[in-house]
Amino acid sequence: MFDRRLVLLATPRQIGVLDWRPGRMHWLGEFAATKEGLTAFRAIAGRHAHLPAVVVVDTVDEDYRSEILPHVQGRARDEVLARKLKQVFRNARFTGAWRQARETTGRRDDRYLFASLTDADWLTPWLATLEQERVPLAGIVPLALACQHLLEALRIQEPHVLVACRLNNRLRLSYYHGGLLRFSRLIGGDTPTPLPGSAADEIAKTQLYLTGQRILPREARLHVVLIDPSRQLDSAQAPLNADPAFSTRLVDLSALAQALRIPDDFLVATPESAPLAAIAGKALQLNLAPSELLQRHLEFRWRRGLHAAAAAIALVGVAATGAWWLHAQDIQDRMRTLAAERQQLDTRYREIARTFPHALATPEQLAQTVALARAIKQPAPAPEVLLAPVGQALTAMPDVMLDSLAWTDDTLDQGSLVLHIDAAIAPFDGNYRAAMQRIETFMQTLRLAPGVRDVRLRTSPVNADSASVLAGKRQDAQSPDSAARFSVELDYREDGA
Amino acid sequence: MKTPPIAALRLPLALVIAASLLAAGGILWSRHQAGEAQQALQAMQTAIDNARRRLVQSRLQQGLVAENLAEYQALAARGFIGSEARLAWIEAVQLANRDAGLYGFDYRLAPRVNERPQLARGLPLGHTAMTLTMPLLVETDLSRFVAALHARAPGLVRVRSCRLSQPGGTPTEAINTPRLQAECELQWFTIAQPGDRS
Repeated sequence: MFDRRLVLLATPRQIGVLDWRPGRMHWLGEFAATKEGLTAFRAIAGRHAHLPAVVVVDTVDEDYRSEILPHVQGRARDEVLARKLKQVFRNARFTGAWRQARETTGRRDDRYLFASLTDADWLTPWLATLEQERVPLAGIVPLALACQHLLEALRIQEPHVLVACRLNNRLRLSYYHGGLLRFSRLIGGDTPTPLPGSAADEIAKTQLYLTGQRILPREARLHVVLIDPSRQLDSAQAPLNADPAFSTRLVDLSALAQALRIPDDFLVATPESAPLAAIAGKALQLNLAPSELLQRHLEFRWRRGLHAAAAAIALVGVAATGAWWLHAQDIQDRMRTLAAERQQLDTRYREIARTFPHALATPEQLAQTVALARAIKQPAPAPEVLLAPVGQALTAMPDVMLDSLAWTDDTLDQGSLVLHIDAAIAPFDGNYRAAMQRIETFMQTLRLAPGVRDVRLRTSPVNADSASVLAGKRQDAQSPDSAARFSVELDYREDGA
Repeated sequence: MKTPPIAALRLPLALVIAASLLAAGGILWSRHQAGEAQQALQAMQTAIDNARRRLVQSRLQQGLVAENLAEYQALAARGFIGSEARLAWIEAVQLANRDAGLYGFDYRLAPRVNERPQLARGLPLGHTAMTLTMPLLVETDLSRFVAALHARAPGLVRVRSCRLSQPGGTPTEAINTPRLQAECELQWFTIAQPGDRS
């Protein structure tokens, strides 16, 4: 849709209009250079004012110059070309320059083709109509440039090619070097007339001219392509083939239609559409239109670009919005699945929790309470278990008299039981050394009892410490009331505890 | 493309701006929707994980309840759980004293105190100290009393400490006359229920 355009074939007598789009085209008609023709053309242009237009000019009043210029770029190039065009074509309005190639040797200069419409007054009404109808003019190109694209479509790759194209009863001879336009001329003037002589003669004259102007190398063999829907050029093929300086190829309508992908019947009805279709989708390498005529096309291109940008932005926005929205929907779908799963989990939990005794503590506290009760209920050693080793020791030592016996149960905290014994050595003769020996023997006896881990002397009958005062009365005879009192403490722990 | 004719391009420029605004708005809105949905999904995922953990824990709790409920209820019935049963404890001591064939006792009950944390394990465990003073004929009377007390005790009780002594210190007493004195500290353990004063 974006490549759709009007391609106009303008001659001093008439103008033909082709509505072209890739793969499809429509011939809108030919309009004579009369008042009625202009009116009809205005109507057509008004209906297609939204399409850019390319005007292909077919006239004898044209001029081509090949020039070699130093290689410059940017603004300098523009200035050089403007100066050169002014110099070559003076005050011609429709001029153009085409940088065709760059020399491969020397300074590597640029080779340019300069072209001009030397007399284009006949074109002004058509262009004025386009301007009035606000049709964006993309460019004005010579028909020879359209024929160059025709060569590309026909895949003709000979280095020196002369295209003899007969349209509207006029013969155009165009020379191409390396596939690029170098020279073109229209034979017979702007008024269609039958060929005065043989087309072969005209081609031979053109070859001599090109050689003379050193446009065509002297030894080059010219490949002549004959394009004529009316088949009047068929007769020229034989004499040209007889000359070793030429080789010819006759392109018939079907070959042309196939190369341009145009229906045969369409091409038969409008043979003028062939070069127009060839150039329709191409970039304009040589544009003869002055910049003031291209202003509306510049505006058109900006507008189209902005519309495309807006469409692209909107498309990206819609696509991104859709993608994020779909992503959100996907997440919500997953959420719905998870919500159902959570509901199942909650239901199963409630079923289990319903079996818990509500009046009681939490299950963990319940278990801890039971475990704690079991620990508290662990039986402590019975009193007789503690009394047995004490009794045995007292039996073995009858001079040790028991005053009191106490025990403290620390099995819950430290796992042991502490036994306190207050006793006395009686009778006591005042011999503390002997008494201490008896106490030590008593403690040794206790240590031998099963379960006893440690035995400590807590209180001694006498304090022989150097830091304290020691006083007393030594008796030689025993007193029945005298006793050496002491305290011992033992740790008891049941085996395996 | 040369300098754009701005004046002639107002409408296309407005279109570009409108398309940009609409696209940006749409993208922001849909991203916001997706972000909110993502947050909700994460919250839901967390809730699912918590529900799974709670279910697994409830199964463990179910096992704990099945394993310990009967014993817990028995402990509650014995008076281990709940408020103190001081009168019952005194009665139990009295019965144990009588069962052991002893000669009476003096008692003193201290206020209930909270148990040490290392033993309580986070539970409201406390104990009430009961100090008993009672005469004994022979040392083995104490063992019989303790055995009888454990048989009679309505709650959980431990003999914390005991002291046996001869108050007179004279062995020349009449036969069947108590000559020993036992002073014992019993600890009655209880777990306060919520709402009970500890």
